[in-house]
This record gives sequence, structure tokens and C-alpha cells, in this order.
Amino acid sequence: MGAVTDDEVIRKRLLIDGDGAGDDRRINVLLKSFTKWCNSPGTPEEGFTQYQRVMATLGQCEFSMGKTLMVYDMNLREMENYEKIYTNIEQNITSAHEKIAECKKEIQRAKRVRKNRQEYDALAKVIQQHPDRHETLKQLEALDKELQQLSQIKENVDAKLELRKKQFHVLLSTIQELQQTLENDEKSDNDDNNQESPAQTGE
Amino acid sequence: MGPVELLHMSVFSQSFSPCGRFLAAGNSYGEIAVFSLSAALSPDATALSQKPVLTFTAHEGPVFSLLSTDCHLMSAGNGEISCWSWSDLTKKNVKPLWTKRPNYKSSLEIPEINAMVLNTRDNSLVVGGGDNNIHILDLEHGIFKTVLQGHSDYVHCLSLREREAEILSGGEDGAVRMWDSRTGQSVHCVEIYKYESCARPQYGKWISCLTTDSDWMLCGGGPSLSLWHLRSLSPTSIFTLTGCQRQTSFYQDMILAVGEGPSVAHCLLGGEVKAQIPCTPQSLNTLQLNTNSAEHRMLTVGGSSNHIDVFTNLSYRAFSLSF
Repeated sequence: MGAVTDDEVIRKRLLIDGDGAGDDRRINVLLKSFTKWCNSPGTPEEGFTQYQRVMATLGQCEFSMGKTLMVYDMNLREMENYEKIYTNIEQNITSAHEKIAECKKEIQRAKRVRKNRQEYDALAKVIQQHPDRHETLKQLEALDKELQQLSQIKENVDAKLELRKKQFHVLLSTIQELQQTLENDEKSDNDDNNQESPAQTGE
Repeated sequence: MGPVELLHMSVFSQSFSPCGRFLAAGNSYGEIAVFSLSAALSPDATALSQKPVLTFTAHEGPVFSLLSTDCHLMSAGNGEISCWSWSDLTKKNVKPLWTKRPNYKSSLEIPEINAMVLNTRDNSLVVGGGDNNIHILDLEHGIFKTVLQGHSDYVHCLSLREREAEILSGGEDGAVRMWDSRTGQSVHCVEIYKYESCARPQYGKWISCLTTDSDWMLCGGGPSLSLWHLRSLSPTSIFTLTGCQRQTSFYQDMILAVGEGPSVAHCLLGGEVKAQIPCTPQSLNTLQLNTNSAEHRMLTVGGSSNHIDVFTNLSYRAFSLSF
């Protein structure tokens, strides 16, 4: 039973689908109709209609072929396009890698610069706390001048003091000498007087 | 390790391996844990990759300082310095290459070592600790060649001034001393707490953090964190941060500081505090930047917790490694 049904099925399938599917079927149908038209004994109108049908089928086949060729061309060109995009993206990736490496180096450089700036700032803070060198020098100069002036004055005063001392010394020694001389004179006068009076009484 | 011990753990020191792929951290129990950074940073990292790949007990006392050279890891424990090879540690071999002890005056007390720096110029290790002195160990010959004496209380922190070959040390006595590394003489002594702008008498006069980049110096602790210009020895900027800062670092054009308080402070050289990024530990002891590896660039901070916060972008905490 199964085998008979199978045969039936096969026969039916072959009848319906014997030509294949789509374009293949069209070409088979075209061949069949062409041979039929060549061997047909019918009227010229029938022959013309059959001829027209054959031409139409031929046209359809050519159209389908043209479409397939175009699709094939399009696929080839799409492939090229994708290849181009692929190489482009690869190049972008490598250049991005290089840029990343560059940026990393830049960061290291920038960090060093920042470190140097911070060290500079720290030192500058300490230096600012100390007074300005020019000012200190000026103060030193002013103090020097004052010192010099004061020592000059001191010298002058000393000299004056010495002079006065000497003058007073001279004055006092002259007075003393005069006193001495006067005393001596008085004494010698007294002696003279005493000597004379005994001489006078003695006579 | 029980949960109580984990709760009471403090991370005191960190160091990145020379290849930049491992982090060693020392804690208050004398243990050092090595974390694999490539595992922790990989896209398919699990909770297990944030645990150490190796934990071992290095010293009896807390590990206050860790330092990495080209191929070795130096750790400072209870008065002694041990040297481990990084290649051995990555292969989980925990035998130290050598352990040395500086010559202490009295053998009764064993002072702790608080800070170590490496002087690459003459291949020597500068060590400062609880005996108020700074010892310099010549790494080529393995002997302690000089002792720098001058501090009247213990030395908290050390730093190297590369250009002028000077060692800077800060201590509990509030003084920052500058030593000439060649002659061993103290060149300058600045008492930070005597400057009115920096002093915070309510906190004390001790200096707990010191860092320098040859022209400038950052120091803080009891007095507020301040930026000093070394040539003129004058304070240029004061940073108003609450609490005492325990470690600071210069980074590009910024200053990073950690201390009391659950945050990392980002400050600008001018004195303004730009940002304070929150972290897991309640107070932080150590801050390290990984500059040895380009793909594992990160900042790690550790403190009074068994977690070490990792920052891949400085602005936020990415994840935490834990002991």
C-alpha cells in the first residue's frame, strides 16, 4: 500500500513539479514550448500565438538573467566597499593606539611639569617669608652710615676733652708755680727781715 | 593558623621580587609569606590565588623590615638579618643563605632591627634598630664595617640620598640625622619637633617615616607629615593628616602616605590632601609600589590585619591578598 501510494505521489509530484522551480522551470517550459511550436501542425494564428508566447518566455528568461548579472556585480562591488572600510578601520585603530601612547607620554611629561611647579611654589613660599635682599642691604648701609657718624662725633668729643684737659693742666700748673714763687718770695722776705733785726739789736 | 591568631596578625613589611612577579610580606609572628602576583592578577583568579604560595617562619620575633636586591631577599628579625635567595623561594626551598647579627654592645639585650636600606654605590646594607646605632654591612665581604652613632633613642626609619651619597635616619628622639656614607660622620641634625609649624606635642616628637628623592625629604610621625627642602633644611609644606604616618613615598607628582587610619592618603607637593582611599586594615604599616614589572604594576598596603590590599589603579582597592 505504502509503495503504491509512493508511486502515486511520485507521479503526481513529477507531473506538477517536474520542471523544477522558478527560472529553471521557465527555461524548461521555454524549450518544451519551442519544440512544440516547431512541431505544431496547427493554424498560422495558433503558430503565431505560440511564437509570441515563446518570445515572451524568452524575454522573461533574458530579464531574469540580466537581473542576476546585476546582482552579482553589486555583490562584487559591496565586497570591495567592505574591504575598503575594513582597511580604513584597521588604520584608525592603529593610529588611535599610537595617539594613546603619545597621550600617555604627554601625561608623564605633564606630571613632571606639575611636580616641578609645585616644588617651585613650595620653595617660593619659604623664600617669601624672608625679607627682601635689597631692603636688608639698604638697612645695613643706613646702619653703617649711622655708625660712622657716631664714631666721628665720639672722636670729636674725645679730642675736645683732651684739649680742655691739657689747657686746665697748663693753667693749674702755672697757678701752682706762681703760688710757689709767691711763697718762696714771702719766705725769703721774712728771712731777710729776721736777719736784719737781730743785726740791728746787736749794734 | 587559628582564627584568633589571624585576627591579631599585623603585617609590618613587604617587598617585591626583582622580577616583579612575587610579593613577600612579613608579619608579627615572624613569618614571611610569598604571594604570586601573576596568579592573583590573571583573569581566572580564584580565592585560592589570593593566598600565599609559600609561608615559612623566618625569625623568632616580628619581621619589621624586608628588602630585595637583584636576586636576594633580606629579612630583619629579632636583632638578626637573614638572606634568602628569590629563586630558592620560588621553588619553595626555605633555607636561608646566611644569617648575621650586627655587633651589639651588650649581649644581654637583643635590639630589634627596624629599617634596612641598600646602598648600591658601594654594595652595602644599612641597618638601623633598637640600639640607637646604624650598622653598615658590606655585602661583598660579609662584615659590618661601620657604626654610625649619634641618635639618643632607637632608629625607626632610614633612607638614602642617592646624589650626595648620604644616609638619612629618623628616630624616637625626634631627630633626623644626615650621615655621609663615606666618612660615617653626622653631617646635619634636624629636630623636627622644634619647628612650630610641624610640631604636634600631643603625639610626641618621634619620627616614624622618612623618604627622600635627593632634593626633598618627607618626614612624619609624632610631628605632622612635612615636606622639607634639603639644601636649605627648611620645611616647605605641612600635610594636615590626622594620626601619625608610618610610611610615605614619592610617586610621579604625588605623595602617598599611610599610617593610623584605614586609608591611603594622596597628597600634592603643595600641601593639599587630594584624596583618601579607604582600605581593609584599620591602620596601615607598610606601603610598596611594584616598579619592577610592567604588567604587574600595583600598590600594596598592609597593616593591622591579615589582609594586604592591592591597588592596580591608585584610586580604588582592587582586591586583597591574605595570609
